[in-house]
Amino acid sequence: MKTARSTGMALAALAAFAAAEARAQEIKVGGIFDLTGITSDVGKPFAQGVRDAVQWTNENGGINGKKINLNGSDYGYKKPEAVALYKRLVEDEKVVMIQGWGTGDTEALKETVTKDRMPFFSASFSAHLTDPAKTPYNYFVGPTYSDALRAWMRWVKADWKDKTRNPRVAFFYGDNPYGKSPIEAGRQFGKEIGVDVVAEEVLPGIVQDATSQLLDMKQKGADYAFTQVTTPNFTAVLRDARKLGLTTRFGTNLWGIGELLIAVAKEFSEGVVGAVPNPPFGENVPGMAKLVAFHQKNHPTDAHDTNYVRGWSYVMVWSEALKRADKAGKLNGEGIRAALESMKDFDTGGLSPPVTYTPADHRPTTLVPLYEVKGGKLVRLQTDEEPRKPEWLGL
Amino acid sequence: MRCGDFRETYAEDMAIFETAFSRRLLAVFLVVLATVPLYATSYWLDVMNRTLIAIVAATGLNILTGFTGQISLGNAAFLAVGAYSTAFLGGRLHLPFLLVMPLAGLLTALVGMVFGVPSLRLKGLYLAVATLAAHFVVEFTVTHWDAVTGGVNGISVPPPRLGALELDNDRRIFWLALPLTVFMLFFAKNLFRTKVGKAFIAIRDQDISAEVMGVNVFKHKLLAFGVSSFYVGVAGSLLAYQAKIISPENFPITVAIDQLGMIIIGGLGSILGSIFGAVFITMLPEVLRLATAAIAGQSPALADLFAPLKVGLFGLAIVLFLLFEPDGMAARWHSIRNYWKLYPFSY
Amino acid sequence: MEFLVQLVLNGIVIGSIYALVGLGFVIIYKSSSILNFAQGEFLLLGAYLCLAIFNTAHVPFAAAFVLALAFSVVLGIGMERLLLRPMIGEPVISVIMLTLGLSSVLKAVVQGIWGTDTRPYPELFPTTPIQIGPLPVSQGYLYSVASVCILLVLFSLFFKYTRAGIAMRATAFSQQVALSMGISVKHIFALAWSIAAVVSTVGGVLLGGVRGGVDGSLAFFGLKVIPVVILGGLDSVLGAIVGGLVMGILENLSGGYLDPLVGGGVKEVAPFVALVAILTFKPYGLFGKVKIERV
Repeated sequence: MKTARSTGMALAALAAFAAAEARAQEIKVGGIFDLTGITSDVGKPFAQGVRDAVQWTNENGGINGKKINLNGSDYGYKKPEAVALYKRLVEDEKVVMIQGWGTGDTEALKETVTKDRMPFFSASFSAHLTDPAKTPYNYFVGPTYSDALRAWMRWVKADWKDKTRNPRVAFFYGDNPYGKSPIEAGRQFGKEIGVDVVAEEVLPGIVQDATSQLLDMKQKGADYAFTQVTTPNFTAVLRDARKLGLTTRFGTNLWGIGELLIAVAKEFSEGVVGAVPNPPFGENVPGMAKLVAFHQKNHPTDAHDTNYVRGWSYVMVWSEALKRADKAGKLNGEGIRAALESMKDFDTGGLSPPVTYTPADHRPTTLVPLYEVKGGKLVRLQTDEEPRKPEWLGL
Repeated sequence: MRCGDFRETYAEDMAIFETAFSRRLLAVFLVVLATVPLYATSYWLDVMNRTLIAIVAATGLNILTGFTGQISLGNAAFLAVGAYSTAFLGGRLHLPFLLVMPLAGLLTALVGMVFGVPSLRLKGLYLAVATLAAHFVVEFTVTHWDAVTGGVNGISVPPPRLGALELDNDRRIFWLALPLTVFMLFFAKNLFRTKVGKAFIAIRDQDISAEVMGVNVFKHKLLAFGVSSFYVGVAGSLLAYQAKIISPENFPITVAIDQLGMIIIGGLGSILGSIFGAVFITMLPEVLRLATAAIAGQSPALADLFAPLKVGLFGLAIVLFLLFEPDGMAARWHSIRNYWKLYPFSY
Repeated sequence: MEFLVQLVLNGIVIGSIYALVGLGFVIIYKSSSILNFAQGEFLLLGAYLCLAIFNTAHVPFAAAFVLALAFSVVLGIGMERLLLRPMIGEPVISVIMLTLGLSSVLKAVVQGIWGTDTRPYPELFPTTPIQIGPLPVSQGYLYSVASVCILLVLFSLFFKYTRAGIAMRATAFSQQVALSMGISVKHIFALAWSIAAVVSTVGGVLLGGVRGGVDGSLAFFGLKVIPVVILGGLDSVLGAIVGGLVMGILENLSGGYLDPLVGGGVKEVAPFVALVAILTFKPYGLFGKVKIERV
């Protein structure tokens, strides 16, 4: 009896120790994803990319041998849910880092994130998150929405052939923080390079009918239009524009253009020009090989797109930072921040432009690859490099 | 427990607690509840705070819809008014906390009375839709009045300050919210022992007869909107302090529908019903989350269904309650209690 | 001037879709005095069902459409049998809440089975728009205007001259009297709900074809159309049509003229404000039957 009991207790102690050891070998990362909300069409492939990349990393050495434990949940693009989820991840789950998503909730949480010293990667490329003086713990992987808009406007200026007047552009955006993010930058930049912003049209969260906004734009005579929305809403605008017989050329940011746009908008997407910082799935860049191999092994029947690749590129960047922080023995908020700010021209194998963070500037890149939809395919037009102007930091 | 009904004076008949035993039991329960923050995780404290806020808001709605019979879908709007008033009065005008909460409630009461004016002419479905209109008008105002509400970016709410003490985490907010909720519940219960409360009930039952009997129907309808909105405004104020950052997304129409569901499931016209309903509806997604987390190990596909399950279970709960227990959980509670009161002689 | 005309025309076109959806509300209300808050979800379910049948059974779209209509008849009868029959005699707020609960359940079912992705719809109508005056109109919208007109005529005749239609109106007026007259109230309810489900499926498929795809947002149409039917009067078929057109025009005018001034959002709120304004003068809607209360 006594032997059985002591053996039992020894076994239990061993199990607890092993479990603690296993947990000590784990790095907890929180995930806030949109799987069911209004941006879920682009949110789901991104989340899948993140999950797959984490699984691949764990299968290929982890973080210096430790495994990443990704605790991700859906928040439906609702700010209150994001705030509650953040509280749970930080206070109960004790994560060291968070992979977030949307502009609205990331901007709402930025003060809390700074106070908690919680490195927060967002799929929001809002320039308001790039100034370390205000938001030292916010990061993302890609050009800012403002730089993407500027790159597009430069392309408009070059594409416009009539020398008698400036090209006229219209901005379409949703009435939310994501939509409004680059607009002020766009207005100022238009004055700078001689592109007239003649109309600003506000779209509702879910676009059923954009006719009145398009008619207003037509009245004001816009030659080009930029939309700061996601693919489904952009599709609705394109359809209505074609229905009205408009000849305006449309442009969009990285959430509007992609394989998804071509699939949903079909022939209406012809001629659309937009920023595509992450290559389409399957494009011939060095880093794509592992994605294709993973896809073949794990879900060969699924289709993947540039949003999926984006998710992978994020994990490439922050897992590298985790490795550096872990090697320095500082796997906490400040340590991860220091590791990130040591990254200079970090190469993700072409899955995204090279990433640089410095203690004074969290803009990871100012390279904006522009693609055009031609013949139902994404064709690279040019890669624009925006100047890294200090007065544009945070705008 | 006493067996049977022994009421010999009018005071006894009107008493909230029939026996000293039930009074003591409630006191013990409240004391136990007050100790919860000492051992609960911050996540569950957040859930409990949200439940308390829901209880106050549901009570407000019950006063209007359950006791006075005016169907209102404007609860989300009134919550928003209370929350934004708090953010503005506390954040921009820097008024002291003890002034902000009652003022926010009063402001909401005023707005509620304005939106109650159509109740003079409209009844039933038409009134419900007019209050729906009120919701969209308030939503529009909140989204576009950037100077006061911060527009779509939202506005942050400074924590309430009692002297040197700052109530900036869920535990302290809970110790503020609990006595406040208890007080407001007692006030509501008492309201329906007074002339005004009985006038409300008369209006619900048959407003034409009430008018004939001398009840000023319009005045009392407005008053019902006012009192109800005051409650919802105070709930909104608590919500603002608890959430610390509010934006128009905190107040979609689903909040109003949820609260209507709370009072229907809990029991229309019953304060106890508001409590039951609020607890049930707030806890439902949490229980579901625990269940899916437990099953997620075996079947990850089920975990993906969490979002639609949350919505679906809510709807299913409402439908099932309405089909099988139309008077709500409070009625069921009373019938169970009455059974035990007379046990083993119940018939 | 051209701007104004274009807005009004677009308003009429969109309004016809609202009218179509509104018909579903009116039919149910006209027979059972219930405002079905789940109408938007009927639309959603109808559109998804049709698409699912088309994609999985690989039949021509017309056949899938007819099958979807048959399904919706069954759905309507099922709803009535399981949910509405026990609610006969309950207060109106309980029934409102029941339909709200039903809408949540249906939304969850659709989301659970088909997810939240936007599903592309096959091209139902030729894409070249037809020019009406200064405004090019897509053919899909013209089809919806046409179907609304046909349905209006059909239902007006139905309610006025057929036995079933008159029986429905009698049931709406007073269930007890109708029962004593030998009308089977249960059958009337089943008929009403089936018709409403069918009309919603037609509306859902039309909307899917016009927008090129379906996603969960289709259900919001239900909420948007409620002011339409209240404006027109809950028990008037003509009211649904007129209300739909008026709301469509109003929405587009406010969107075109007021949105740029205020920065957006007026388009969504204007119908409700107009509704409240009109209700103060006509508390039962433009064409609704005025209820005279007796104690």
